[in-house]
Amino acid sequence: MELRYFILRRILVIIPTIIGLTILVFLIMWAIPFDQLIAPYIHQKGLSRAQATLVVEQQLGFYKNDPVLTYLFYLRDLFSGNWGIMFGSASPYNGPVINAIEIFLPNTIQLAIGAVIVSMAISIPVGTYIGSRPNSLGDQFGRVFSLAGYAMPGFWLAYLLIYLFAKNTGILLPVVPWGGNGLNGYYSSGHLVPWIPIQVNGHPVSDLTSYPTHVLLIDSLLNGNIYWFTKAVEYLILPVLTLTYGILAGLLRFIRAGMVDSINQEYVKTARAKGVPEKTIIKRHVRKNALIPTVTVLGLLVAGLLGGAVAVEFVFGYYGIGYLTVLSAEDLQVWAVMGTTIVFGIVLVIANLVVDVVYAYLDPRIRY
Amino acid sequence: MVDVDAFKTEIAPPRKIHPKVEEMKTTGKLFLTNKLALVGFTITSFYFILAILDAIYPQYLGVANDSTYLSWVPGGTPTTIQPSQLLSPSLTPAGGWMFILGTTFYNMPIFPAMLAALKFDLGYSLAIVMIGGGIGVVIGVISGYMGGIVDEVMMRVTDIFFSVPFLVLAIAFLFVFGHVLSSVVYALIIIWWPIYARLTRGQALSTKAMNYVESARAAGSSKLRNIFVHVLPNVLSPVYVQFSLDLGTIVLIFSTLDFLGIVNGNPNVPELGSLIVAQGNGLSWLIAGYWWPAIIPGIFLLIFTISINLMGDGLRDVLDPKLRR
Repeated sequence: MELRYFILRRILVIIPTIIGLTILVFLIMWAIPFDQLIAPYIHQKGLSRAQATLVVEQQLGFYKNDPVLTYLFYLRDLFSGNWGIMFGSASPYNGPVINAIEIFLPNTIQLAIGAVIVSMAISIPVGTYIGSRPNSLGDQFGRVFSLAGYAMPGFWLAYLLIYLFAKNTGILLPVVPWGGNGLNGYYSSGHLVPWIPIQVNGHPVSDLTSYPTHVLLIDSLLNGNIYWFTKAVEYLILPVLTLTYGILAGLLRFIRAGMVDSINQEYVKTARAKGVPEKTIIKRHVRKNALIPTVTVLGLLVAGLLGGAVAVEFVFGYYGIGYLTVLSAEDLQVWAVMGTTIVFGIVLVIANLVVDVVYAYLDPRIRY
Repeated sequence: MVDVDAFKTEIAPPRKIHPKVEEMKTTGKLFLTNKLALVGFTITSFYFILAILDAIYPQYLGVANDSTYLSWVPGGTPTTIQPSQLLSPSLTPAGGWMFILGTTFYNMPIFPAMLAALKFDLGYSLAIVMIGGGIGVVIGVISGYMGGIVDEVMMRVTDIFFSVPFLVLAIAFLFVFGHVLSSVVYALIIIWWPIYARLTRGQALSTKAMNYVESARAAGSSKLRNIFVHVLPNVLSPVYVQFSLDLGTIVLIFSTLDFLGIVNGNPNVPELGSLIVAQGNGLSWLIAGYWWPAIIPGIFLLIFTISINLMGDGLRDVLDPKLRR
């Protein structure tokens, strides 16, 4: 099969998968007793039972007694860009779900991309080093050290980093600012800026005049505001480090295995016999081939990070998509839960697709 | 004249060793040469023995009924305490050997609480991996062997389950089945089987083309027999590896759920993550310099997950013929 048809087929398969996913999630949400669904409105917003029922049925459009019609209407609206409304009491956003995703998703993407860049920068040289000396002391130490990052809960690692490096209180190097109460980031103009208190040292966030991407790092640059740019970088350090250490082990394991695999290949022996210096062999012949399978994990890592950064987002009060998912699920915001689920599903399927295509491009032996 | 008989020796008939046993012996030998895997295996076994001992003889290591933390609370009634009231770890604690690692929320001794939590964590993660893994393996092997439309449908369903965000499912299950730990366990089982289904399917695809399966089919072996007698036993080695790694992963997931405050309605069910979080005080106590409530259970958990990962890596090296040296 040609690559074109392969891609086309995979894209067509996405649609039934996503629809199946929405049906499954809808069924799960529908199975929740109605009393539970309206309970947040009664207890936290002080509405009467009848009023709460009215909110859920008429404003949200969720009819417990008519699941088929509710779902079909949702599906129709989904394709016209109306992803429903959320009225969470605990969730940090009220309004159209699609806007919430638009605001929260870029923050998580920024976090994931930062973590991938830093972890690649670390794991390629380290992986090359330990992969060319398998089973040496350095190799074993490197493996255990990277494994530790994978084997500890993300939030606990965040605790440790805060304990060691947090500004003013850190016991090792008290220089890195962290957190900030996430809820403070919500300010009157309706824009969310993650993890930044409304005002820092007399610089209000509203110094910025436009928020085209909802990512402070980029918005501040577009506004030419260096103060907020440095703040954005500072507050990114600890979350990115936490995520980086978490994915390092997976990357290192792959690069190391690839190195070990290709170091015994015939072409490496040929290069050695020709008298090519060992350094050049490792760089040109071994590492290049070892990195091909690594590309495949990378896509899946990004997909995993988008969904798996929840705990880190919570520790640092970082407004990402995981934060939105958990809070809206606790609030039983049906449409918000459906919306974020769809986003996760699409991200996962697309990541898989991109990985396959990139792999076919990099390794000419693979044909579809 | 040479006495021929003197040179005759008794030749023992070749001992019949089952090929499976032979295979296991080689595997075991290879496994033992990998130092890191051996260390991992030893420590993991130690944790399991600890948990089993604590379950069998609760009167020595734990208390008879430690299904909640409350049985460890001095005086029996939980009270919130100031961090300055926490006892720090010391080699000669005032309250007896139980207090050797200090105290945490409710002024509860950390050491026995950790053992109780370990027992729960290991028990639940074993149950989840076994049930979820079992379902996944059966689905995967059938899907891989049958191929065609059955395979396509089963794999699309697997894809759907694969992309359900776990946290959403766990939270929804808490509302559907009530705020108890078992709701989270159901959610985890539902999330866990797709990994095994994919893993087994891939293996089954290559195994069903093997000559011995072909000949079994030619000899008139039924589909069912082929799947479960000829294919299934030969696709399991990557499953064992995944199994061992997942035991650690599930404990990590439990602790994350605890941190997010959604594992159950009762914060007093022993669980290593809830010890680290210390009812939301872990981080603030840590920053204030009271490090032990968050750090000690964390290290206890970390040592377990590192060892089980080392063991799993070692198993992978040994069971995967491509990686065998």
